Amino acid sequence: MDDIILRAENICKSFGITKAVKNVSMSFRRGEIRGLIGENGSGKSTFCSMLCGIHTVDSGRFILDGEELKINSLVEANRKGISIIVQEMGTLPGLTVAENIFLGNEDRFIKCGIKNTAAMNQEADRLLEKYGFRHIRGNSMIDNYTFEDRKLVEIVRATYFDPKILVIDETTTALSQNGREELYKIMKRFREEGRTVIFISHDLSEVIEYTDTISVLRDGELIDTVDSDKVNEDDLKRLMVGRELKGRYYRTDYGEPVSDDVVLSVEGLTVPGEFEDVSFKLHKGEILGIGGLSDCGMHELGKAIFGASENRRDTVALADGTRINSICDAIKHNIAYTSKDRDNESVILNETIRNNICLPSLDKLAERGILRHKKLDRFAGKYADMIHVKMTGINQFVSSLSGGNKQKVVLARWLGRDFDIIVLDSPTRGIDVKVKADIYTLMYELKKKGKSIILISEEIQELMGMSDRILIMKDGIINGEILRSPDLSEEDFIAKMV
Amino acid sequence: MLSQTSLEHNEQKNEKGSVRNLLDRIHINAVLPMVGFIVILLVFAFLTDMRIVQPKSINLILSQVYVLMIAASGVFMVMTMGGLDFSQGSILGLSSIVISYLSFYNIILAIIAGIAVGAIIGAINGFFHVKFRIPSFIVTICTMFLFRGLNAYLTTNSPVAAHVSVTSYNVTWLKMLLTILVLLIIYLLFNYTRLGMVLKAIGAGETAAKYSGVRTDLTKFLVFTAAGAITGFAAFLNVIKVGSITATAGNQLETQILISLVLGGMPITGGSKVRFYNIIVGSLIFCILNNGLVMLALDTAMQQLIKGIIFVLVVALTIDRESIQVVK
Repeated sequence: MDDIILRAENICKSFGITKAVKNVSMSFRRGEIRGLIGENGSGKSTFCSMLCGIHTVDSGRFILDGEELKINSLVEANRKGISIIVQEMGTLPGLTVAENIFLGNEDRFIKCGIKNTAAMNQEADRLLEKYGFRHIRGNSMIDNYTFEDRKLVEIVRATYFDPKILVIDETTTALSQNGREELYKIMKRFREEGRTVIFISHDLSEVIEYTDTISVLRDGELIDTVDSDKVNEDDLKRLMVGRELKGRYYRTDYGEPVSDDVVLSVEGLTVPGEFEDVSFKLHKGEILGIGGLSDCGMHELGKAIFGASENRRDTVALADGTRINSICDAIKHNIAYTSKDRDNESVILNETIRNNICLPSLDKLAERGILRHKKLDRFAGKYADMIHVKMTGINQFVSSLSGGNKQKVVLARWLGRDFDIIVLDSPTRGIDVKVKADIYTLMYELKKKGKSIILISEEIQELMGMSDRILIMKDGIINGEILRSPDLSEEDFIAKMV
Repeated sequence: MLSQTSLEHNEQKNEKGSVRNLLDRIHINAVLPMVGFIVILLVFAFLTDMRIVQPKSINLILSQVYVLMIAASGVFMVMTMGGLDFSQGSILGLSSIVISYLSFYNIILAIIAGIAVGAIIGAINGFFHVKFRIPSFIVTICTMFLFRGLNAYLTTNSPVAAHVSVTSYNVTWLKMLLTILVLLIIYLLFNYTRLGMVLKAIGAGETAAKYSGVRTDLTKFLVFTAAGAITGFAAFLNVIKVGSITATAGNQLETQILISLVLGGMPITGGSKVRFYNIIVGSLIFCILNNGLVMLALDTAMQQLIKGIIFVLVVALTIDRESIQVVK
């Protein structure tokens, strides 16, 4: 009994009419890395945010070290030795790295009401050095760093004070291979020091490899807790979904020829500071993968193809020579784009599903400039249903949907637009297996219909599984091309990426 | 503090979202301004022994509502995009001066020139807001001072009087007709063309709107221009009512518009919950409140105080917390 550090007893939480967590009880041992898995909306994040004081518990209690845990904020949780690294951006812009790291704990640098900034920066640099993130400096603004570096800063913030319990909520998707290795090292160190890690991830192979035990949640209920070395991915999928899933969800065809018709040609495309002199041709019915490390310029490339980059040079052109120079050009000529930054660029959160789906197609929906509401309703309903968006109705706000369903709304709006070419940037980022499978199926169907897809992804498996051809980018240039084949291995890719 | 982490934001959005959805379903937010309108009417009817619902008072209230309602309908579009416009008072003043000058030549020319002056000031607002990425409330506060200065200069020696014949246009049916016409046009544009959806989309999420093919910069520029032009038109109704323009013409109009729209239930951040009736209900509530307080013979300081309290209460009750960026 003594090595139990944390016990959750009958934890419940509702948001309005949705029961997010139902009666969950489980125990965590000292020195244990516990995986927490489940589909989107299964209650993983909610459970952890209650543990960390971000949400209050409706009923039930947490017992930490034999004492009931009573906290109302993240700062209090930190003081009790519980810490979290969150899924989305958790650093605050406009502050320095050091200020972000010691946010809420500035007291230790304050003497007689005066903050000793130099000491704070020094301490931050010492910590960053210790973690091996030498390229990040404590006194520079957080805004100067990439998404990934900011994540590393968050890791430091969450772990420097050696909490008893560390929650890692879906962080690895934001990290490159190097960043992940660092995180795994920290997890292992925690285990050796007798601390507990709760690790949330959608990447099942990662969960199996790096955890000791795995708890599976489904619809807010705890389904089972299993030992990581006794299960495989299929077992976990079955537990998560509650029924048998097909073992693989990528497409299985190989060697089918791709049409020679070029639909889009990119010539010498350059965005200074991001990527340089990128040229390629996209064919009809082709899935063209673009892979690389997260800062290799491929995400910006996706934007540039869609005409969304400022100060872009040289050309993106359709088969008939039409230049694509702005987002409006792109949409007018049936090019669609889904962003990696889904919440800011792909959907309008504080707007209804209906308006989100209709917005890009308004010019087509208007009859002599007049919009009919019934027609919009029918249009939105049709495409939301086509792709099975889980919703209470088309007037539900997008902000209340889970990540996977938001992505479905994004796809629905572009399906409604009837694109010929779509640029999908990290389409399955932070999305559970079921919706992932749906998206892969949809991509394959679109390909069959002769639509061309550019798939930008940090997941090598996904690129290998779905693409006809893969361009690998490194430091802003194309560093190699790989053709579809069943014999590819991750090593082929990694060699070209780093 | 740490509690600002975005995880919490997301989750709170969900939490609030579901409660809001529930509210939306029973349309509490939608009927609240209407209820407010009726309550205020009843309260003042009671306090003034029904004097406020006499034809004479109603006439007085209506005569004050035209300019406000027309000018508010332009700002309504700006605010739907999440912007603010404080320059309306000075636009009204300058357009009124121009109309008065030109009323000696040709009244149609005068009206067109008034609209043009408004449109030019609106275009200046839009240009600086879009081109230099300055928040709209800062740009419009600048133009407010700039043109108020110009107005004061033009009226230094004496008020600018319009030709006497303009007062012959000061008849209820004409003013009502013109107001209804402007509102009808904006109603149709807002609800039955792309305009409404595009403006709401910009208000709710500008980046995503841009990525959906909305020409955000052009739209913003045009809407600021249109808002100026509409107030320029309202200046005509102002001129035929007052006959001569002093340095204080249009003073406080911008705050009156802002208060009216918010009283009418308009979310101050714009976005998807904006409704057209916000303009009408809001301006009516504002004018009833104004006249009611005068009829109660309260001194002006007390009137200001009461208006301020009501404004704060309404904002606190109706503000759309989930779409406000946390700026502390």
